[in-house]
Amino acid sequence: MIDFSTTTAFGLVRRLAVPSQDSPAVYLLISEAAAIDAVQVDLGAEIQVQLGIELRSLAVSELDPDRLEDAFASARVPAVLLITLDDWTPKLIESLDRNIVLVANSGPVLLLATFELVKRALRAAPNLRNRLTDVLAIRPDEAFSDARA
Amino acid sequence: MERDAQTSTVAFDRRQVYRPFLERLNPIASHRDLVDRDLIIPRDHDPRDAGQPPIHVAFANSAELNPGTQMALVGGIGSGKTTEMLLTQRILGRHSDAVNIFVDLADHTDLNETNSGAILAMAGMQLYSRLKKADNPSPKAKSAYTKLRELAFGTTQWVPADDQYYDEQRDFVEVEVPGVMKLRFPALRRKVKELKELLVSIASPLLEKGAQITLLIDGLDRLIRAERFREFAEQDLRALRGTKMTIIISAPLLLWYDKSRFLQDYFDLVKHIPAAAAGRQDLSFLRQILERRAALELMDRKEVTTIVKYSGGVLRDLLTLTRSAAEYAYRDDQDSIGRNHVQAAVRQLGNRYLVGLGRTHRTRLRRLAKNDQFPIEDSTARELIVNRQVLEYFDRGREFFVVHPALTKVLPKPA
Repeated sequence: MIDFSTTTAFGLVRRLAVPSQDSPAVYLLISEAAAIDAVQVDLGAEIQVQLGIELRSLAVSELDPDRLEDAFASARVPAVLLITLDDWTPKLIESLDRNIVLVANSGPVLLLATFELVKRALRAAPNLRNRLTDVLAIRPDEAFSDARA
Repeated sequence: MERDAQTSTVAFDRRQVYRPFLERLNPIASHRDLVDRDLIIPRDHDPRDAGQPPIHVAFANSAELNPGTQMALVGGIGSGKTTEMLLTQRILGRHSDAVNIFVDLADHTDLNETNSGAILAMAGMQLYSRLKKADNPSPKAKSAYTKLRELAFGTTQWVPADDQYYDEQRDFVEVEVPGVMKLRFPALRRKVKELKELLVSIASPLLEKGAQITLLIDGLDRLIRAERFREFAEQDLRALRGTKMTIIISAPLLLWYDKSRFLQDYFDLVKHIPAAAAGRQDLSFLRQILERRAALELMDRKEVTTIVKYSGGVLRDLLTLTRSAAEYAYRDDQDSIGRNHVQAAVRQLGNRYLVGLGRTHRTRLRRLAKNDQFPIEDSTARELIVNRQVLEYFDRGREFFVVHPALTKVLPKPA
């Protein structure tokens, strides 16, 4: 696997806290498939504690590529939006790519996926790739005690 | 370790240094905000020809002197197309009769579906809104706007139930009989024609007063399949010909390399923004961008130069690298950005470009790095160009391709 900086939910939310919270930021997070649930839980807890706002969690299998604005419009209340790529849905990835300005303007957005899905998604989404704030490998907190990233 | 740091007393709040810095360097910040905050460095010449005025000046001059001109701006992702369009809009605002409509079409419609007419509908709605602010719109303009909205968003109509089966009861049905003449451009669709007439009705009061109407349309460059862009051009933009409304539109990069020369044939003026950094002037331009955003407050000139080099001249990558280096420095509890932070940011950006590259892509990249060969007609080559893993440059009349410098840094050697 490509050697991306590794972080935990704690380290990532610390990054989100540096600029102002309404600043556009889109992070792509790579996780082992088995750790995705734990990462989601960690992210929810850290966002609540460090930023005092909610984590809105969606899975791509729940999103309608033709009604993307619905998912992002309701994210305009202070929240971090987490979209888990739980399935390979090229139509949705294409839609995210074309509507990247809508995604980027929705406040902090976290995209969470396995490395295999990340590879496919980035290849199909050049606009998204170019506008990502960062790509990070993420692990659950307990597996990574010295969170330097 | 980080948790301990969080609970101890902080004598010097480093966030107060890094926060404004990161704000100024957000590569996906609103362009309008950047223009308003005077963080934009306009180029002082056409990126392909130092003897020509900058693109925004050329576009503004054409719009002012030849109303109804149709212009296209083409360039890779993150090359600064939106910025050039906003700068054009700013210049056009120097005349009081200028009516400038700047929209990212993707904000108004999902470009996923075949929706020719979307540009006309959007332009009509925006113009009506201007008309309403400036004047009391005439009943004709009001009625045109109502119909245009119905065509744009659809409407629910109550019709007698029997009418639904009307088509099936007809004795005759329409059959298209093709003619012998192959049209250069396909005929305008009925809805597009209708929308054009409504748009002209809305625009007429402004045009009669001599208003200089310019539509600046952004977002269509994000259509990866270039044929979708052609559909918009062949329907919406062609419908606007002869209306005295000027169009400036961003187009997908691949159309620049299209053998049919569609862009050059269709548009009155086409400008291309290649990646910068091919010549000394471009390097100075890139350095100035960072200096305007106060990069020298946190790093030395040497680090600025390294960032400029590894950005490959892609403006968004220039900001991404600087921001990323600043984040590394912040996490290292440093008061300034050092060489190691810049190097880490370069690797991180390079890795981002490395993701998703298969064996064929890597082979093609190595071949390009070795002997400059890059057959642009090839689908792999095109994919690499669209994804910015390969950058296009233009220097002294010569167009050439180079592997993105940050990607070169991390591209594995063949096994």
